[in-house]
Amino acid sequence: MLWLWIVVGVAVVLAVVLTLGYNRLVRLRNEVETGWANIDVQLKRRADLIPNLVEAVRGYAAHERGVFDEVTKARAALQHAGTPGAAADANEGLTVALGRLFAVAEAYPDLKASENFLQLQEDLTDTEDKISAARRYYNSTVMHFNTAIQSIPWLLIAKPLGFRDKEFFSAQGDTALPQVSFSPAT
Amino acid sequence: MTLQQQIRSNRFRSSIVVLGFALLLLVLAGLIGLVLDLSLGAVALAIALVYAIFALLRSRSMIAGMTHAQPLGEKELEPLRRLVENASIGAGLPVTPELRLVDDAAPNAFAAGLRPEKSYVGVTTGLLRTMPKRELEAVIAHEISHIRNRDTYLMTMATVFAGVIALIADIGFRSIAYGGRSRKAGGLVVVLAIVGFILAPYAALLLRMSLSRRREYLADAGAAEILNDPEAMALALRRLELDSTTIRYADASTAHLWVESPTDRVDSERRGVLALSSLFNTHPALADRIEALQEAGGFRLPEGIPAEQPFAAELGLM
Repeated sequence: MLWLWIVVGVAVVLAVVLTLGYNRLVRLRNEVETGWANIDVQLKRRADLIPNLVEAVRGYAAHERGVFDEVTKARAALQHAGTPGAAADANEGLTVALGRLFAVAEAYPDLKASENFLQLQEDLTDTEDKISAARRYYNSTVMHFNTAIQSIPWLLIAKPLGFRDKEFFSAQGDTALPQVSFSPAT
Repeated sequence: MTLQQQIRSNRFRSSIVVLGFALLLLVLAGLIGLVLDLSLGAVALAIALVYAIFALLRSRSMIAGMTHAQPLGEKELEPLRRLVENASIGAGLPVTPELRLVDDAAPNAFAAGLRPEKSYVGVTTGLLRTMPKRELEAVIAHEISHIRNRDTYLMTMATVFAGVIALIADIGFRSIAYGGRSRKAGGLVVVLAIVGFILAPYAALLLRMSLSRRREYLADAGAAEILNDPEAMALALRRLELDSTTIRYADASTAHLWVESPTDRVDSERRGVLALSSLFNTHPALADRIEALQEAGGFRLPEGIPAEQPFAAELGLM
């Protein structure tokens, strides 16, 4: 009879460990999703600012059509990006295009001094700061999640259970990742 | 330890604290009941419960009152509010805590509130006049990480219960001192009870202080992680270390809330003589906290501190 109890005991312990571990993975995955939602909100906000900005500059420099097209295209690319990596690339592309737009604006002191333009510029800077804050959080949740499903025993069973590695929000050629985790001194 | 583990371990600690305080409370009420009158013990317990519930409900505005933190107007200090927003996004908080201003020359900041959604961050005007943007951001991130780690919850609980213990011990002490004739038990029990009533508030204080010291290291590390910039936090602490203004409304009951201890700045000097006093510190020494950050981040701060334009200049406050 003893061996039967041992088998039952082991099975119960195993079931408990597996349940707790599974719940932990689900929680970590939800955190990644929340983190992504935070970035997404800010990316949308950034994309929403673009049309007004383009209009403001167009009012002074209607002939700079090439630049406007480029910005509009970069914005569309950001709106249609499917994965975090693609979104990061598109976001980077938009930054480059906006750089050109602001270079055009440099030549028009009236535009640069206009209330509307200044406000848009400030909102844009604010959104960019928020994107980088949201990105730090998102990438740290991705790191925790990926580490969890890449370690034993989850390495073997995470895939069949539907847990896949998550993508970092980082543009190609970006070397700032992954960040260091600061373990507190006790 | 991941963040979620920290939060859970903090919740666990909170329940231990609550349990510990409840136990202490029962012992005190029991002592009153034993020495004097059973009904008096029950009355004391009832008073304690009512007081605790009232204090918890009112803790938000009570702390605001004690620290003199003023709520800000709709569009006031927008750039500062943005720093708070960015730090909470970086911390993954669902809502941005409210921002309040304390008109005080000493550079300091605190966080309060039972739940993250109802929390607020208070900064002194002195902090804005001392810190450049990068370091100010680190201090704000430190407070945000207190909120995220549920430290504010834990410490509010601890504060309220410490107050309750002090109240009950006081009731017990006075009833023995003035109600001499109605005493039931004699000699030894009375002496024990008196000793108990005298020591209980210190036990509560000790528990509270030891909790808050560990939290500071965690919040420093949290701030470093939120901004991915441990050097900013270390620089901010160094700048606080060099500053010697103390806060006007410093109060032992709110000392643990602030980023830097507002009251016990002389403690580090008298540690040699009275080593025990460090047990009652709410905060570890700033030098120790800087050291912990340097170790975790793998960097060394240069001697001295760079002179930079404080954020108040950007806000147009100077």
